[in-house]
Amino acid sequence: MPEYLLPSGTLLGAWAAAGLTLFIYSFLYKDNPLFKLGEHLYVGISVGYTVVLTWHTVFLRLLWEPLAKSVGEAPASPGSYLLLIPAALGLLMLARFIPKIAWLSRIAFAFVVGFGSGVAIPRVVSSYILKQIEDTVNPLLVRMDGGLSLGLDLAAPQSGINTVILLIGVVSVLFYFFFSVEHTGAGMVTARTGIYFLMIAFGAAFGYTVMSRMSLLIGRFRDLITFSGAAYGYATPILLGVTIVTLALWEMAVRRRAGP
Amino acid sequence: MKAFARRMIGIDRRIIFLLIAAATLLPLLQPFGLPIKVSPEVKAVYDHIEKLPERSVFLISFDFDPSSKPELEPQAVALLRHAFRKNLRVIGMTHWLTGTGLADGVFSTAAAEYGKVRGKDFVFLGWSPGGGALIIAMGQDLYTAFPSDYSKTPTRDMPVLEGVRNLRDVNYMISLAAGSSGIEMWYVFGKDKYRFEMAGGATGVIAPGLYPFLRSGQINGLIGGLQGAAEYETLIGQKGTAVAGMDAQSATHMVIIVLVILCNVFYFTLRGEKGRPA
Repeated sequence: MPEYLLPSGTLLGAWAAAGLTLFIYSFLYKDNPLFKLGEHLYVGISVGYTVVLTWHTVFLRLLWEPLAKSVGEAPASPGSYLLLIPAALGLLMLARFIPKIAWLSRIAFAFVVGFGSGVAIPRVVSSYILKQIEDTVNPLLVRMDGGLSLGLDLAAPQSGINTVILLIGVVSVLFYFFFSVEHTGAGMVTARTGIYFLMIAFGAAFGYTVMSRMSLLIGRFRDLITFSGAAYGYATPILLGVTIVTLALWEMAVRRRAGP
Repeated sequence: MKAFARRMIGIDRRIIFLLIAAATLLPLLQPFGLPIKVSPEVKAVYDHIEKLPERSVFLISFDFDPSSKPELEPQAVALLRHAFRKNLRVIGMTHWLTGTGLADGVFSTAAAEYGKVRGKDFVFLGWSPGGGALIIAMGQDLYTAFPSDYSKTPTRDMPVLEGVRNLRDVNYMISLAAGSSGIEMWYVFGKDKYRFEMAGGATGVIAPGLYPFLRSGQINGLIGGLQGAAEYETLIGQKGTAVAGMDAQSATHMVIIVLVILCNVFYFTLRGEKGRPA
């Protein structure tokens, strides 16, 4: 191996990353076997990785090891066997795969739903509803150095002008989704205003989404540029060539099969 | 004009892909160094960390996986560099099983840069199931929730966790999130109950939905997408992959804006033609 090359483990990783990136991007040309190979590898590896980590983290670290330890230390104590209760509940979930005893899984699901709802509902109401209402109903006038003032600074979130915009936005959007009254006259103006607020929100969300997707593209391109160097054995240009040649051969084969 | 507009409206979409690829690739190969303006929400995170005394406990939750790496890894690296430079005790963890290896790698690399020792200056707890229930468990007793760290070292006697019993002993927390199992979950089950200060780092897709939390003070700062990471890199004075990507980001945005305007021009030129909406 030439001296300038990186260790074989890093090289293998770089070649796999560059190759799979190019295979996945080949979909931009059209659906093809290279893309399918990359897609299937992604799904398979993700599932395999998840299964192995779950086994080690959940089964071994959180169940088997503490259970073995507590039973080993005090085999006569009933407390040593407490972890068998969640283990049994977990096993009951698997009963869904056996139709005759599928009803047993309801016990485990009842526990999960009951516990989840009990824990989540008060917290969600507090965080998502009460706190947000609290922030929506802001005072219009704010205390400044020179006394009370209606803040006109759009950049300051708590300024009076922003409080007014927020109030109009919340009321008009809520009214837009209020279908018990016909949207005519003043109602139509309010609902229309609500639509404009929604459009601005969707636009902002879309803008951010574009930025996000472009960031992912930049990330992949940056890696491809890195892997194109001599230290990585010119992985990117070689694999780009392989991808293009394979696509060309595949395209010719497809056309030949389709006939004149 | 109409004939040209008709041809352009039906253009092969692969030409647009090529345009975007060129707009991304060229600035990466030849950066032109556009200025980066730091937003108040990113500055708030920086200022809060800057004010923390040495050896304060800083919890960072890597709530993402490799599919969001380009956006959130630069944020994580910048935050870890800042925390290690400030000599904070850093606790890492993840709610995303498939992000465990990535998070551990980021931690190890950033710690090595500053000569920080695992177990003494930082700990990566890894992943544990439960989501919100795990946060509640951590709020009651950190050592029951994580009896050992990612490298299977028992957590109870670790020097880095000295004096830390539960989430109430955390001085500052940030969740770097790519989805719902992240900032909102940390706020709902963590901060709201155990009263620690927290901020968020998010992908561009979920960032707009977090602004109501920022406005209401439920989080004290927000780093949004690659742009936010670039701002943070600028603040700590260590330009990294995020700053390097910002020229490409701006160039692609410019191409998209031009394409949107052109499409609208062509659409209005052809409006009213047979088979097209009036």
